[in-house]
Amino acid sequence: MNNKNELPESNRRDFLKNASLATMMAMVGGVELRADDKAKSGDSELTKIPPAPPINIGVIGLGEWGREILIQLGKLNADPTREKKDNAPVVAICDNYPAALRRAGKEIPNAQKYDDYKALLADAKVQAVIIATPTGTHKEIALAALAAGKHVYCEAPLANTIEDAKAIAKAARDAVKQIFQPGLQQRSHPQVEFLLPFIRSGALGKYVMVRAQWHANSTWYQTGSSQEREDALNWRLRNATSTGLLGEEGIHQIDTVSNFLRGRPLAVTGFSSTIRLYNDHREVPDTVQAVFEFPHGVNLLHDLTICNSFEKTYEVYLGDEAAMMMRDFKAWLFKEANAHEGGWEVYARHDRFYNETGIALVAGASKQTTLAGSMESFNPYEHEPLYYALDAFTDKAGRQTREIKDFYDTYPDGTVADLLDQLKTDPALKSTAAATWQDGLDATVMAIIANQAAIKKQKIVFEKEWFEL
Amino acid sequence: MNKFPFSIAAALAFWLAPIVHAEAQTRYNTQPRGNSIRVDGTSTAHDWEMEGGFIGGYIEFGAGVNLDKTQAAPAGLQGDKIPAKAHVIIPVSTIHSKAEHMPGVMDDLMQKSMKAGDFPRIEFTLTEMTFKGPHAAGKPFDADAAGELVIAGVTNKVILPINLETLDEGKIKVSGTAPVKMTAYGISPPAPVLAIGTLRCGDDVKILFDWILKEKK
Repeated sequence: MNNKNELPESNRRDFLKNASLATMMAMVGGVELRADDKAKSGDSELTKIPPAPPINIGVIGLGEWGREILIQLGKLNADPTREKKDNAPVVAICDNYPAALRRAGKEIPNAQKYDDYKALLADAKVQAVIIATPTGTHKEIALAALAAGKHVYCEAPLANTIEDAKAIAKAARDAVKQIFQPGLQQRSHPQVEFLLPFIRSGALGKYVMVRAQWHANSTWYQTGSSQEREDALNWRLRNATSTGLLGEEGIHQIDTVSNFLRGRPLAVTGFSSTIRLYNDHREVPDTVQAVFEFPHGVNLLHDLTICNSFEKTYEVYLGDEAAMMMRDFKAWLFKEANAHEGGWEVYARHDRFYNETGIALVAGASKQTTLAGSMESFNPYEHEPLYYALDAFTDKAGRQTREIKDFYDTYPDGTVADLLDQLKTDPALKSTAAATWQDGLDATVMAIIANQAAIKKQKIVFEKEWFEL
Repeated sequence: MNKFPFSIAAALAFWLAPIVHAEAQTRYNTQPRGNSIRVDGTSTAHDWEMEGGFIGGYIEFGAGVNLDKTQAAPAGLQGDKIPAKAHVIIPVSTIHSKAEHMPGVMDDLMQKSMKAGDFPRIEFTLTEMTFKGPHAAGKPFDADAAGELVIAGVTNKVILPINLETLDEGKIKVSGTAPVKMTAYGISPPAPVLAIGTLRCGDDVKILFDWILKEKK
């Protein structure tokens, strides 16, 4: 059914010039892998798990990403299809730059405004904090937040150094009553959650290799009202404060690949270059490549650039029976001629693409409403990955807070050990997909070391102790 | 200064001590380990069950009550009544489905049916405990616990058959069964519309519990 080689060359060339990648996948006989979109199905009164209680949020860091977090929290609270409407109210915001605080304050007028994160942490109304400050400041804030008893969502990478990442991970591990979630947002995406067991079940055969790219046309440069402000805004451009493209952007793909491959890489070899020369004293390369060597001879070839956006971002997993491509949180399966019939095809729908028939795998395939439309026009997920990650965080934080209250209301003299045993019994706490402190440490170490390898243009072997506390 | 003679104080203390002891009540507080709740129900498709491990509250036995199970009856009975006060709480959100597939759906259904957002606890307040003899030595004591059971904000007077058993380290175990008719508490038996059609839960459920308490010293 894969007709890639049968396509006339001119057609393929024209197509590549004009068409979207989704169309291309359809034409070469891609099989779409798609999770059911619960929000769109809307025909059931049931939810997968009972709604979590509300949790009061404080957001620290109101730069570009902090504002995006506020937008996604706003969507989360306003989502009419969501039972947990208004369950994650932003009660406090913080930035040490007055203009950023004022601007965010206009959007969230009811939130208490703080110019010092310590004051926000002292606010008893705040139950959970989201840290969206420059990477190098995470450690101080995360440790203080955990010590203050707050649930913590800390953006990834956790830190610029392995030592700092370990300090955060250790504090998170020891804060047994709190939820700590690193900002590895893809872990909570329903498509990844859906694909994980499918891929791990051996649907691709034996892994051969993985290819990932992150391409954008950008400068990463931000202008500020003063030199001091500009320096603060452009922390990502300097080696002392940034983990570079591999750390600040590539970490999400590195994490997803290691999640799918179920393991850590053994070594990484990096390359880097600065193609565009700006007069802004930048140090971080604008183009990097890294080869991660995973066990069993499986390599991840990862390239990132801010000089060209061609085909933007995707990952391809190649197995000896099939390949899977993930892009924009859609996935397609391309089966080799020697592929085994897995049985899953029975549940798939058949789509006509160009002059070929493709098979789509859809969770909840009985819902024909989700199957309407062409493959390229269908957008199975309404929300950004960040939305799902924040949903998971606020959900878990709300549940855990209620569970702890229930415990101490029921057993005023209960010990922490008793509490931990009880927390294990809540299936909703276990079933919500979200990155853990260990995932955060692993991904941060991989990204930091890959960035170092890229800058030095050399191979670095990962040491086991970097990942351990 | 007019001092109270030491000898009279000592004599008073000697004579009053047994009286004070006789008047003393024995309070048992809940323990965080070893508790279990099971809710057994039926439906048009199959039987279902939910489980939990949170039972809070206390039992306070009146003066002289002794649950020595080697005896034919507990000491301290007043007629056939065991003088006692008790209050029990069970957080609704801590009871979970044991279904193999998508247990959260059942949890959600039950919490909604029980209006857990407004009434997060099941509560029971004891009004009277009646000893049910005869008692075989070494076995737990059988009793009926009459009281007010509050579910989903609706109160009903109920009588629950219970067993009382002494354990080591000053602990006791209270086991029992509470038959509950959902509609009596304003709960419509859940009837979700599923892919297989409408599934309707039966009105009658049974709540079975084992509750561990320890004497407060």
